Amino acid sequence: MSKDAFKNTELIQASLKKRYARERRFQLFGKLAVLLGFVFLFILLFDIVSKGTPAFTQKQLQIAVDFDPDKLGVDASASAEQLRQANFNAVIKSSLRDMFPEVTSRGDKKRLYRLVSIGAEYALRDRVIEDPSLIGQRKDFWLLAHSEAAGYLKGQISRELPEVERKVKDIQMDWLDQLRDKGLTKSSFNTLFFLEGDSREPELAGIRAALQGSFFTLVVTFLLAFPIGVFAAVYLEEFAPRNRITDLIEININNLAAVPSIVFGLLGLAVFINFFELPRSAPLVGGIVLSLMTLPTIIITSRASIQAVSPSIREAALGVGASKIQTVFHHVLPVAMPGILTGSIIGMAQALGESAPLLMIGMVAFIMEVPGGVTDPSTVLPVQIFLWADSPERGFTEKTSAAIMVLMGFLIVMNALAIYLRRRFEVK
Amino acid sequence: MQTSTVFLTLVALCAVSFFIGRHKSRLIGMAGGGLQTLHSLPVHYGYMAALWAGLPALLVFIVWLGVEAPVIRNLVIAELPAEVLALSLDELGLYYNQVVGVALGSVDVGVVDANQVTAAHRYNELLTASRGLKMLLVSLVAVIGGLLAVMRVKPDLRARNHVEDIFTWVLFACSSIAVFTTLGIVLSVLFEAVRFFQVIPMNDFLFGLQWSPQMAIRADQVGASGSFGFIPLLVGTLLISMVAMLIAVPIGLMSAIYLSEYASRRFRAVTKPVLEILAGVPTVVYGFFAALTVAPFIRNLGESIGLSVASESALAAGLVMGIMIIPFVMSLSDDIISAVPNTLREASLGMGATMSETIRKVLLPAALPGIVGGILLAVSRAIGETMIVVMAAGLSAKLTINPLEAVTTITVQIVTLLVGDQEFDSPKTLAAFALGLVLFFVTLLLNVIALYVVRKYREQYE
Amino acid sequence: MKKHVLGAIVLTVGLGNLAVAQAQGRDNVSIVGSSTVYPFATVVAERFGRSTDFKAPKIESTGSGGGLKLFCKGLGANTPDITNSSRRIKKSEYDQCQENGVTDVVEVLVGFDGIAIANSRQAPQLTLSLQDLYLALAKDVPGPDGKLIPNPNKTWKDINPALPASTIEVLGPPPTSGTRDAFAELALGGGAQAIPALKSLRELGADQVDEIKAAVAALGIPEGFYQSYSQSSGKAPKGKDIFKAIAYSVREDGAYIEAGENDNLIVQKLEANPNALGIFGFSFLDENGDKVQGSLINGVEPSFDSIADGDYPVSRPLYFYIKSAHVGRIPGIREYAIEFASDRAMGEDGYLTERGLIPLDEVELKQVQADVASLKRLEM
Repeated sequence: MSKDAFKNTELIQASLKKRYARERRFQLFGKLAVLLGFVFLFILLFDIVSKGTPAFTQKQLQIAVDFDPDKLGVDASASAEQLRQANFNAVIKSSLRDMFPEVTSRGDKKRLYRLVSIGAEYALRDRVIEDPSLIGQRKDFWLLAHSEAAGYLKGQISRELPEVERKVKDIQMDWLDQLRDKGLTKSSFNTLFFLEGDSREPELAGIRAALQGSFFTLVVTFLLAFPIGVFAAVYLEEFAPRNRITDLIEININNLAAVPSIVFGLLGLAVFINFFELPRSAPLVGGIVLSLMTLPTIIITSRASIQAVSPSIREAALGVGASKIQTVFHHVLPVAMPGILTGSIIGMAQALGESAPLLMIGMVAFIMEVPGGVTDPSTVLPVQIFLWADSPERGFTEKTSAAIMVLMGFLIVMNALAIYLRRRFEVK
Repeated sequence: MQTSTVFLTLVALCAVSFFIGRHKSRLIGMAGGGLQTLHSLPVHYGYMAALWAGLPALLVFIVWLGVEAPVIRNLVIAELPAEVLALSLDELGLYYNQVVGVALGSVDVGVVDANQVTAAHRYNELLTASRGLKMLLVSLVAVIGGLLAVMRVKPDLRARNHVEDIFTWVLFACSSIAVFTTLGIVLSVLFEAVRFFQVIPMNDFLFGLQWSPQMAIRADQVGASGSFGFIPLLVGTLLISMVAMLIAVPIGLMSAIYLSEYASRRFRAVTKPVLEILAGVPTVVYGFFAALTVAPFIRNLGESIGLSVASESALAAGLVMGIMIIPFVMSLSDDIISAVPNTLREASLGMGATMSETIRKVLLPAALPGIVGGILLAVSRAIGETMIVVMAAGLSAKLTINPLEAVTTITVQIVTLLVGDQEFDSPKTLAAFALGLVLFFVTLLLNVIALYVVRKYREQYE
Repeated sequence: MKKHVLGAIVLTVGLGNLAVAQAQGRDNVSIVGSSTVYPFATVVAERFGRSTDFKAPKIESTGSGGGLKLFCKGLGANTPDITNSSRRIKKSEYDQCQENGVTDVVEVLVGFDGIAIANSRQAPQLTLSLQDLYLALAKDVPGPDGKLIPNPNKTWKDINPALPASTIEVLGPPPTSGTRDAFAELALGGGAQAIPALKSLRELGADQVDEIKAAVAALGIPEGFYQSYSQSSGKAPKGKDIFKAIAYSVREDGAYIEAGENDNLIVQKLEANPNALGIFGFSFLDENGDKVQGSLINGVEPSFDSIADGDYPVSRPLYFYIKSAHVGRIPGIREYAIEFASDRAMGEDGYLTERGLIPLDEVELKQVQADVASLKRLEM
């Protein structure tokens, strides 16, 4: 007997080693899996951040601008309306020629003018309208550099390349070097990127219009999807009888979670734009479509957190005579709320990053003006990214990545909010 | 902002009704010998009064909002001179658009004719009148409703049941929106899909082995005849989804196990949300990553060991899609594994099993139905994913199960067919709707299976 | 309780603000249509918006077909005023317009978009003829005995001994794209004409039934083809129709890779894969000169001048269409169109040319400007 026991112990001892090894291996796999996730995330983030960072600086050139009334076509007594029509382009051109008098050939002149952004013209116009006494004066101004020139100043274009292969030619590089040596170039934080709408000039393009559009769209989405989603979850979890209709609703919700988002776009086009005649390209319609798309996510997660509420709470409430509704709204929902909010935030994050359904309802559009309400034409951030990614101008590459960084920033903030709520939930 | 003023007034009236209803019920209760003589709590009488005041008035409000613009339009148009009325309906619409523009100040008065200016004045008058009336009517209905409710307050009025019935209906209405959405989706693609099936027989579509929508764009141009066989698209979609699942399921599941069973609480609290960022990265970004980084890498790798790899391989798209789905699988499995009762865990560990044995022999079998359900949901997510495949998988519809070759998916075809340059009634465009319909039913089938699996096997462990 | 009240107030104010979705007069120009014209139209719209008092037009990228569908849906503030198109409006679309009350449509030819065939700078520049392109990319090509066989060519060298021995791998637009359509017609169709049997087939009229049948038989196409073809199209086909059916089909065995509409992506894929060739718009070649190089087609390199002169054989016209009934009703339409057609935009030195648009010649430009000014009605 004792001998057998001893033998068993030995067997166990022997197998233990193996089992522990297996245990360690298993744990290692787990760690590896988490590590892999981190590696993927890191590669993606690194890729985006390294490409997008230059977009946050802008390059300016100091040009001595001569507001010659003859070139402008107006004099100091001009009205604001006349000033708007004045020829600021000619002023910039002649000022540039004055700085580089050696430039004579037509092609070189054209290249010279290309150092300065077309936005400079409108910036000068606004300055002069503000202060008409500038007319007739000569003054140094910092003008926005063209995206190609800025690319060279930022070191993105190398002289090593054969001249035919690059947009910035040798002579332009020489001019820019001269300006830099004289201290006539400077970098500053790119405020335009956050204050302006879309533009076809990379150096002028900003995300403000898209951000505002995204904001309006998300507000609509949240106001619709959150109450409806929570109510639906409450009904299905607490009130619904087990019957065919409930099954139908349940299958429908699960199925909608998997319907490709572009199909929601088709729905939006057919129902809200063609049938209800709501305006195209409006955050209102975008928000409704996205709320239909996020509803299943919110319902499913809300149900899960309502389910997780301990039955004892319900029974206690019912036991002291609360009605079903009272039980749910006074006792179950408050406990489930952090979980519900987490799910809703994840749903909102999904809506924030979505672009495919908006294609069908006209939100893939060029919008310069910042929308002021839910019915103004607008676009959203992921669509802006998509449009920039498809632009031929090289300067948009960094803009695309920078816009992605902003979008990811919002997503991270939303996720952080979700963590915070989850923490509170887990403490309970 | 007029509209929101009316709305706020309505909310205020509801609040007032609530307080009056509550107050009156208290008075009655006290008079009748204490609050316990009332059938319901005073708040319920308040809620009832508020609902009576609010709901009918809200209905009036919504109806008014709906008919306001058309009615004003007809009134303004009716007063226009005969020569304007002779315009076609559409032109009249444009004419009227300008009138509204003038009235709202967005169109310069200089560019329109005198009739339009008069009409614009009329429009503004009518609008003011309508707003006043709307305010009056909504308030009136709300006050009457509130008063009626307040008058009915009696000790034996079953206010609570009354309120709760209304609430239950509201809850039911919210959950039935899902059904209406489904109905809307089916209806919005059905008609176009039917038109497609009139041109292309359904059998050719569902069982055809060749997909090449090379049909002429212009009438004067013949081009090749298109063939619309759905099978290569389905196989391509499933192939890419499968690759994605092969990446996402092991990594996601192992991460979930590690996080829920091994990791410290703090590590878990940080790691889980950080990895969930992967799910939030816009799919456009993944698309670029797949097309420009992963695909060439796999291609070079394959060529260095003597394999021929297409530059748009299904492997690259699937791999990146897998990365995107990792957090999805992870979150779902984590929730489900955590939900396995602790007693099972403790019993197994108490018997001397190691943690990994407990996980493999006890926890996973217990959690399996839930995990399978979750994975099926992830599969339908992969099937519906668009941008990654648009950028990385290309559009060649090849019938193959070799992941090193290029394939295409249903969603990619839907997008390209819809935003292309071809005329809108050609079978090419209509095919997008047919694909949408079929895709809808494929995911429906998957979900019914998932629901069935979860339902059938879950019960045992709860 | 207080928290709930606060939440309720926030919610109601939010909902209240949403409810202001009332019909308002539209005062900006609404433009839809082709994604190829989009980069040019947006440049005009931006300058127009910045330099005038009009609101900047809203431009949606919907594809030519989707744009024309919206455009022809009818008149009214909720329909677009202008649609861009990378092909001419079809008769059926024009008819639909007429039916829906859009009777007066102005057609504006904007210029040309060259289609470049390019590869990575890391690989040698190719010199191709249209025939090379046809033999490389067509679905069926004449075999040694003159009969059509599925395209057997695997490497460029198989087609033309002067070309490198690399595998044929061409990234190009999908069949739904106007670029693909133009490429098939100009490059493949052009190349097929270099083959005598196909060229002679192309020249046969619809009445020369026997000759067509003989030519088809010589190409090894089964006899039933002619019959089924005439049945499906409802009339006796011309030799040209059959020629198109043969020549415009692109091979589907993997040598031609349909790569979607994102031209930037094609450029970057080419950079990653020096063996591949790509087909995309000229403006992308112009902008990415450091990464890719255009192949010489029939000895001509793609450049502004060669495309504008018509020496470079593969380019296509771009259009936009104006709804005349909206002019004067929606502010800014005529002014926008005039800006678009002006010398400083569309002219030889215009800002659109800088973006890669191939300009019209002087006479055509004057004609277009006159048509825009007078809103000349399109007749079809």
